[in-house]
Amino acid sequence: MRLIALLFLFFSLSFAQIKVVATYGWIADLVKQIGKEKVQVHTIAKPYEDFHFVLPRPSEIAKLRQADLLVINGASLEVGFLPPLIQQSNNPKIQPGREGFLDLSQFVELIDKHKKVSREMGDVHPEGNPHYVFDPHNVPVLARAITERLCQINQKNCSYYRANLEDFLRRWSAKLREWDAGFSKLKGLKVVQYHKTYNYLFNRYSISTVGTVEPLPGIPPNARHVENLSKQAQGARFVVVEAFRSKDGYAQRVAELLGAKLLVLPSDVGSENTKDLFDLFDTLLRRLSG
Amino acid sequence: MKKVLLLLGIFSFSFAQEDLESLKRQLEEQKRLIKELEKKIEALEKAQKEEEPQKKEAREGTRPAPADRSLQLRLKFDERLRAYQISPFKQTAFLPDISFIADTSFVARNRNDQTFKKLEIPELYYTHANDGHGKLNEKRGFNLNYGELYLYAPVDPYFDLYATIPFSEEGVELEEAYAVTRGLPGGFQLKVGKFRSSFGRLNAQHPHTWDFATQPLPYKVFLGDDGLVEKGIHLNWLAPVPFYLLFGMEVLQGENEQSFGTEGFSVNTKKDGTGSNIEVGDTRKPNLYVGFIKTSFDLGRLSLLTGLSYATGKTRINHLDTEEPHAFAGKTKLYGFDLTAKYTIDSIRYVSFQGEYLYRDMKGTSYGYDDNGDLFMPFTSRKQSGFYAQLVARFHKQWRAGIRYELINKNEVKSDSTDRGLPKNLPAYYAMLEFSPTEFSRIGLQVGENRAYYLEGVRKPVKELILQFNFAIGAHGAHPF
Repeated sequence: MRLIALLFLFFSLSFAQIKVVATYGWIADLVKQIGKEKVQVHTIAKPYEDFHFVLPRPSEIAKLRQADLLVINGASLEVGFLPPLIQQSNNPKIQPGREGFLDLSQFVELIDKHKKVSREMGDVHPEGNPHYVFDPHNVPVLARAITERLCQINQKNCSYYRANLEDFLRRWSAKLREWDAGFSKLKGLKVVQYHKTYNYLFNRYSISTVGTVEPLPGIPPNARHVENLSKQAQGARFVVVEAFRSKDGYAQRVAELLGAKLLVLPSDVGSENTKDLFDLFDTLLRRLSG
Repeated sequence: MKKVLLLLGIFSFSFAQEDLESLKRQLEEQKRLIKELEKKIEALEKAQKEEEPQKKEAREGTRPAPADRSLQLRLKFDERLRAYQISPFKQTAFLPDISFIADTSFVARNRNDQTFKKLEIPELYYTHANDGHGKLNEKRGFNLNYGELYLYAPVDPYFDLYATIPFSEEGVELEEAYAVTRGLPGGFQLKVGKFRSSFGRLNAQHPHTWDFATQPLPYKVFLGDDGLVEKGIHLNWLAPVPFYLLFGMEVLQGENEQSFGTEGFSVNTKKDGTGSNIEVGDTRKPNLYVGFIKTSFDLGRLSLLTGLSYATGKTRINHLDTEEPHAFAGKTKLYGFDLTAKYTIDSIRYVSFQGEYLYRDMKGTSYGYDDNGDLFMPFTSRKQSGFYAQLVARFHKQWRAGIRYELINKNEVKSDSTDRGLPKNLPAYYAMLEFSPTEFSRIGLQVGENRAYYLEGVRKPVKELILQFNFAIGAHGAHPF
């Protein structure tokens, strides 16, 4: 009898878990910080993948079929792989516009917005720069948005989520003071980025981007652009690349020509073995200060 | 009575007068208001212009700080009000995603266009059956293969609508127009309209997403140059298991010219039409039933997708108005097996294998004429099969290369149980190199040889070079795995 009760308890517990699919590692981490053992989180993008070009594996469709909630980065970052996955998921709960679909880009102010966009400008996002997670001051509002949505879907555990949020925000604001102090020391630092991935971080702490290795967003570099860049971007201390581009020959060449250091930064939680969002910003600060 | 009427007239008149007076007053009042508003707007516009440089500075700083928030809000409201009054029923926000894809190519071939047009694959493919649209890279020199208009938008919370409208130099065709459900419970999805069947792997893909410029042989001979694109209904169910497992069935009209067909015909017992007519009726309609199962799983960085497909329907093939009149009435079963394996090396490089095997079992009565012009109608059975296997690798962000081998390995046709002794082992092989500056433009070079073509019983290998250009503009959706 006891065994049955135990089994029942076990099953009801595992069933009680809210199934969440997150497009990127950092979103999955944030959901876990709030939901803890009440949620079961699956991440679509692999840490070694370019966040713009994630392979739409059919196995992800199976995960989306079972999901109660899909949390995405938004601002067109997933446009190259997510729509067909959602369409094939046969899951009404996570369709855009429903309760089980959460686009986090709606909660932050995006930068690098263009008044007019055209594909001749390369792969620009009409909504603005989608890599907003790299501003640590954006994270609390995102955590709140996730908490509210989890509460909506799973009212029973709302107080649990709220308590976890409070705890997370406390830890985050403690770290924020540390990061603010640390990054502020880098004020005025000149860097070359491969892609405008870290604009939110650099804008926040007045680190200036003096050039990009790619001539236009999403357009691969060429020899002429590299040569021009080596003249324009004099005084850059780092050439910053995302981990998934760490072997790019052009970035290395630019670093050589400028006498700068090639700096590999994590592109997401999970990239460069970062285990959570705290670790992500610790790593960013450590590497940029080094 | 008259008095009453007169009184009524006077009263109504005076009332009307009063109404008119009040209307006039209101109009004046409104005119004044509009003038005032206009003045205000002008002033605000001026103020805004003066503000602009300041605003720019503010934007470049850390935080944008509006100079006078209430002023701006009021201006915004006024502007919106004005815009609204000009076009109160504007619906541009509901414009669907529109994209246009242009495909053009340069072709060099060892056979001239007249000969190439006449080439056939014995008992498998005859060009006269495949006139019209869907022919890619048809002529030597330059070809405009198609310009394809693609539309997509949600209809309402319940349906999505897709339409594919390829334009050729000759005309327009409605290749696809179908609605898909957005929220059926229980993991079901329903599709209705005209669409590419989910039979096999390559069939559901649009030509502009193909890895190679040409269609593999088994597809060409069993499903035709356009593939299996039919009117009908599609239902699929995604099983609630931890891996991808999809079951589906389709009921289709079954008008495919290579393996099915619905329209009956009448055959004359004499080639010159002096004999009596034999009537062959239409098939049941709808005519074609398709079932499939697909599954997928990952082994580390290797993603596998595999499936089994089955299609069954009646067949009516009518080529009675050609030089060598012939026809066929019977039934066809088509079996398919497909396997795709993609191994991701890093964020850029991958190696991908794709292969499919198709088997056709066709039984029925053939109609043809002997040398004396007399009709003969033997019972014919066709057991035919073929496969293709391809390997494609992306080794640079903008470069891909691949090879493909295609083979018809079985072509067993029996008329009244005598084997026709047709050629089997009909191969084709190609290599391709592709440069795509972005996801929206592709330049592909394909070279190879097709040894499946015959002319009057003699093999006529076709050596080909195709330089293909493909461009996409507008809002075009992402492609599935």
